[in-house]
Amino acid sequence: MSRFGTALRDLYHERTNYQFIERSWRWAVLSGVLIAISFGALAIRGLNFGIDFTGGTAWEVQVEGDRPSTNAVRDALRPFGIADAKISFREDRGSGSTTLLVQATEHEGEERRDVAGSLEEFGTIQAISEVGPTWGESVSRQAWRALVAFFVAIGIYLALRFEWRMSAAALVAVFHDIIITVGAYAILGAQVAPATIIAFLTILGFSLYDTVVVFDKVKEYEETLGAERTDTYSDMVNRALNRVLSRSLNTTLTSVLPILSIMIVGVWYLGAVALSDFALALLVGVVVGTYSSLFVAAPVLAWINERRPKHRALRERSAGGRGRGGRQPVGVRAGVEDVGALAAAEREAVADRIEPQPDVGADVGAEAEARGPSAPTPSPKPSPASTSGITPRPRRQRRRKRR
Amino acid sequence: MRRPGLFLVGTLVVVLGWFGVTLALGNAPILGLDLQGGISVVLVPVDDADTDTLDVAVDIIRNRVDALGVAEPEITRQGGRIIVDLPGVRERDQAAALVGQTAELRFRPVVGCLPAEGDESATTTTTTAAAAEPPTDTTAPEEPTEVPTTPRSDDVVDQPVVLEGLEPCQPADESQGIPELPRYELGPTSGCVPDDLDQCVTGRAVDTARSEFATGQGYLVTVDFTGDGGTAFIERVATPNVNQRVAIVLDGIVQSAPVIQPDVVSGGGGSVQISGDFNESQASDLATVLRFGALPVELETETIQNVSPTLGNDQLRAGIAAGIIGLLLVAGYMLLYYRALALVAIAGLVLTGIWIYAVVAYLGDTIGLTLTLAGATGLIVSIGITVDSYVVYFERLKDEVRTGKTLRSSLQRGFQRSFRTILAGDVAALIGAGVLYWLAIGSVRGFAFFLGIATLLDLIITFFFMHPMTIFLTRSRRLMTARRIGVAAALDRPELEA
Repeated sequence: MSRFGTALRDLYHERTNYQFIERSWRWAVLSGVLIAISFGALAIRGLNFGIDFTGGTAWEVQVEGDRPSTNAVRDALRPFGIADAKISFREDRGSGSTTLLVQATEHEGEERRDVAGSLEEFGTIQAISEVGPTWGESVSRQAWRALVAFFVAIGIYLALRFEWRMSAAALVAVFHDIIITVGAYAILGAQVAPATIIAFLTILGFSLYDTVVVFDKVKEYEETLGAERTDTYSDMVNRALNRVLSRSLNTTLTSVLPILSIMIVGVWYLGAVALSDFALALLVGVVVGTYSSLFVAAPVLAWINERRPKHRALRERSAGGRGRGGRQPVGVRAGVEDVGALAAAEREAVADRIEPQPDVGADVGAEAEARGPSAPTPSPKPSPASTSGITPRPRRQRRRKRR
Repeated sequence: MRRPGLFLVGTLVVVLGWFGVTLALGNAPILGLDLQGGISVVLVPVDDADTDTLDVAVDIIRNRVDALGVAEPEITRQGGRIIVDLPGVRERDQAAALVGQTAELRFRPVVGCLPAEGDESATTTTTTAAAAEPPTDTTAPEEPTEVPTTPRSDDVVDQPVVLEGLEPCQPADESQGIPELPRYELGPTSGCVPDDLDQCVTGRAVDTARSEFATGQGYLVTVDFTGDGGTAFIERVATPNVNQRVAIVLDGIVQSAPVIQPDVVSGGGGSVQISGDFNESQASDLATVLRFGALPVELETETIQNVSPTLGNDQLRAGIAAGIIGLLLVAGYMLLYYRALALVAIAGLVLTGIWIYAVVAYLGDTIGLTLTLAGATGLIVSIGITVDSYVVYFERLKDEVRTGKTLRSSLQRGFQRSFRTILAGDVAALIGAGVLYWLAIGSVRGFAFFLGIATLLDLIITFFFMHPMTIFLTRSRRLMTARRIGVAAALDRPELEA
């Protein structure tokens, strides 16, 4: 079995133990470089705003004969580099005459006439005029205002649902994604249309959703914190990330598949310029969004949290524990809220890559739960699997914790 | 979950029923300008106007059309003309009416109230009108004869006029035998500079207006003025008319006629409140008129044309084909990874899909919602999020099953835990969609609307369908234990029994 095959197998059976946090400096460097490139590209090349933002030139052609296909018009425009122009046909209800309207970004005198000459194959040129932006300043201003409110609202929600540190880390990750996606646009020189803004917003939503799922897992695993003497907050986060990894990859794949398909079809039908540009923004964003949930949001969270006194104490204890010869069971003091998490913590503690036995501790927990809050606490029996000495806390305590 | 079958049947009945009704009524989603085209209204200024003025008009028209619904219009200035492309509008008249309101908002003092045109019985009661509530410090009109309503062409700034109002000038009072007097007798426009009638205080003085609910006072409309506008309003409109009614006139119709309270003048002029017996929609309509009422130029309709889709049929077809291929790939991948369990996800996706279709068709019919490329993208992303809900759930099930629990308790707990996660993610998406919908305009608003709907439906399907369906599926021994493709294999515990 190849290394890659083993890795996939581990992933499927959730036996991975990648060091996300310990090696986070690598990701920090990678993200830093990507962000630097993005800013560089933005500064040097800038964004290629489409006609909806900048305004441009409109050619009006009185169509003679049959109405040409949009693709034919696009082909005629391609030599001038404006195949992404807006093309529409307007039919006067009274006279029944059809006008071809082509709108494209600013072109100077000479070229305007050349384009007009090329368009003459479809009819007679009626007018060449300049066009104002449809997405003017006021629309942008409203959009910015909405975006700021969006961040504030989401930030508050995440702070309430989880904690402010997670909220901060999630927002850092989202900004990271937006910067890199915008940077990709600048590098590729793809045209920014209103649909692009939508794509950016989409990425925002996707990235946030992904981060929420990851943090939900981390929150759940907080209960296993300190399961061993050497356990630190970062170790705990790392554990959670390994368990959420297959979910993240699956989600990314299922999101990327439709987007890739749009891109490929877009390239196939050369006409579908708008679609393929749009799909490109989405593709970059979705991939970066998943990356950032695991490699930006989580390490940032770990970094913030390691600075809290109680987690710093854990780290100091951990350093001491490691100094005295590695992993030592701590005993009953570790409370585990969730039996799934318990099993995971145990697997960590016992050894990597050993299929967990159906462990007594977990079953006791499940029974205790089934019996409800008034059930007597089962005495923690040592079980073959729970060498770390973790025992489930009785239900009553757990409930208090949850509130 | 006690009765999974009940939930399952209930969900199916609701969704398929809705879908069936949609098909039976022949409703289909209205496609936006980019996908289906629409009607284009070309407006030209009556007098010459510079491009800056036209750009201001473009903004105002956009706000006005946006405020009417969620259809995404495209409004451009092209040369000296304004082109308004409206999706989902079938009638020329409707299109023209949507963009045709071009007069300016003005303020006129109320001189008196008049009976409806041609209503002779009420002519004698004009004197009572002055004394009656609401307090109008007015003098009764001299002549009790028929006073015609001023036609639009005679609605001149510096002449008195008689106009209809949205609300009667003086409501009827049965107990005192006072009949309703619907028409307003108005003085010359307030706030004009005597030598220069173009310098009147108009809707441009209003920065923004909003309806609010205040305890004890009911619905109010708060009006914020621009700096100069506020000063001009206080000096030239409010001060001369303290304790009198001033009518807010747009398009020859009195929108409202509040009494100017003395503290408006002393208040400085940053903002004022209009109170009255408003209900919620009256207050918000008035606020809309105050915000967007005034166009800086008078425009007239040049032509009304049909407009072809801007994206083109080729792109639409390519997009649909790509979407279908993408979905098939997703289904294939899910089957590969989650074996028999994937059936739940695929069934759920199909169900969510047809429900979204039905809801979008319904909203297209009722509030003119149009589906654009941007909206469709919101939907595609929501497919990602919908699939994600299933992945989160399945992965959670695997976690639970791995700890050695029975299938029954794994399903129960797995659903509880994963639904918390899904809820957290979906609520974040809903908050985002809500904020963008309320604050943004144009295509961003359309996107937010669709993202919101799809997320909400996903949440409902997740709760009422995904879990019951899984329980249902695992009851089949064959599906459960089939080698390699069964649910047990998918959950990474081939020996698991139902």
